[in-house]
Amino acid sequence: MNPLHQQPEGGNGARTNYWLGGITAAFLGLGSFFVFSAASPPPPKPAAIPLVDKKFLDPSPWRQTYADLVKAKEDLSDYDCYACHEQKKPPVIRFDAAGKVLVPQEHANIVMGHGSHDRNNLCYNCHNEQNLTTLQVRDGNVVKFDNIPTLCGSCHGPTLRDWEAGAHGRTGGYWDRSQGAPQRLVCANCHNPHSPRIPTREPAPPPHLLHGNPATHEAAEPAH
Amino acid sequence: MPAPTPTPDRTSDAAMSRRSFLRGCAAFGGLTALAASLAPLRELGDFSSSEEFLQKYYKELTPEDMKKVLARIEREVQHQYGIRPHVRDLRPMDGVEFVYALNLTRCIGCRKCVHACVAENNQSRNPEIQYIRVLKMPHGSMDVEKGDHNYTDKSVPEKGFFYMPVQCQQCKNPPCVKVCPVNATWQEKDGITVIDYDWCIGCRYCEAACPYFARRFNFTKPEIPADRLNPNMAYLGNRPRKQGVMEKCHFCIQRTRAGKYPACLEVCPVGARKFGNILDPNSEVSYILREKRVFIQLKEEMGTSPRFFYYFDK
Repeated sequence: MNPLHQQPEGGNGARTNYWLGGITAAFLGLGSFFVFSAASPPPPKPAAIPLVDKKFLDPSPWRQTYADLVKAKEDLSDYDCYACHEQKKPPVIRFDAAGKVLVPQEHANIVMGHGSHDRNNLCYNCHNEQNLTTLQVRDGNVVKFDNIPTLCGSCHGPTLRDWEAGAHGRTGGYWDRSQGAPQRLVCANCHNPHSPRIPTREPAPPPHLLHGNPATHEAAEPAH
Repeated sequence: MPAPTPTPDRTSDAAMSRRSFLRGCAAFGGLTALAASLAPLRELGDFSSSEEFLQKYYKELTPEDMKKVLARIEREVQHQYGIRPHVRDLRPMDGVEFVYALNLTRCIGCRKCVHACVAENNQSRNPEIQYIRVLKMPHGSMDVEKGDHNYTDKSVPEKGFFYMPVQCQQCKNPPCVKVCPVNATWQEKDGITVIDYDWCIGCRYCEAACPYFARRFNFTKPEIPADRLNPNMAYLGNRPRKQGVMEKCHFCIQRTRAGKYPACLEVCPVGARKFGNILDPNSEVSYILREKRVFIQLKEEMGTSPRFFYYFDK
């Protein structure tokens, strides 16, 4: 008999079983690995980004004017000059050696900062010394407290012109006048008359970039 | 096939042959591998409904179709956020072309516009999508390469710098519209370039084409807290987007086409932002473009002809 046609005996059969067992285990292992990976929870979300503080979303004006206070029926005692001052007796303005106005203790909340180099440091440039509950422009015309643009515009003409055209200052409401009224603010809604420069303020947070903000070296993702 | 001849195999009397057992193991492995490879789809939560899938192109929708579409969107938003929104399809008004003017002398870089925009237009909070970037630029240069929009100053404005907010410039000659392969973005007659979020395929060509980095892509499903959702929505405006679509500033279509000012303008604490109808000679923007001394169009040399102007007071 040809030895090539002989059925393998013993050793060869054991090797086949060994291979079979190995392949079976590999398939089952792969299968169970896939099952577990399919059932595993989705990858974690990136770190939570804090919601922006609602104060940065507030469109209301910074300041309230006399007219606003009257409308809201709020405390007007700050405008009741003759509760302390005497009628028909203009208060005397005192100056220090450098020619700066000395703000009396009763008015300590006032910061004199209108105009650079103290060029506009005289209270009666705007206040009416004859009647403290009113204001006056430089030509002597009396202006009421709720007519601020007339007073400010007597010096700041181009700005008043821009404001009247809607180009200076804040607006809101409707751009389409046929559908609604635009909301207009006056000078003192944004500017403090005694120091009109807009103060610096805290900005809203910068964007949270996917890979951290290079300006802060903040890392949005844990370092690998 | 010839009938299998019985072979003198040792396993022939077993219930399962070696071959079929191995086949079974391989099939099991293959099926689980397929399941595992499809597993990321489970995170894709919002499959489009068949209604949305079969929806026609925006410009082909009849008023009745549009009514159904708006009702579907309201239903979907309510299902997702628990809030019944008011979704409208606002069309451009006759004799109106919108123009934005921004006063660089006034801007203090407080970024309130950025966040008012996010709140108004239902942008994703995580990951953050913001339409406006405020560039902090050194005095004496208009080179945006020198701008920094990640500044973390404690108080603004800082001496020696000016701040330039950049958002979609609503170009007259928009490169983003030209590259869109499916016409999912187009320019309307009031000058606003809009996106149909249901038609966008998310190829991001427009993002690459925009010289102002004005377009944003939703890489993941947008995350908006239900209590901060703005229920006043427009189809082409601030209705919630889904994963895989582009979005960008649309001049607050839901407000401006109803006659109101955009949200970024209303919140600006210094009145640096001005908006209006350039075809109306009495509007603020007409006055500004007529009277103010300097105004620039950002990257004018690109030939995009923006409807967004920067100007100076002094």
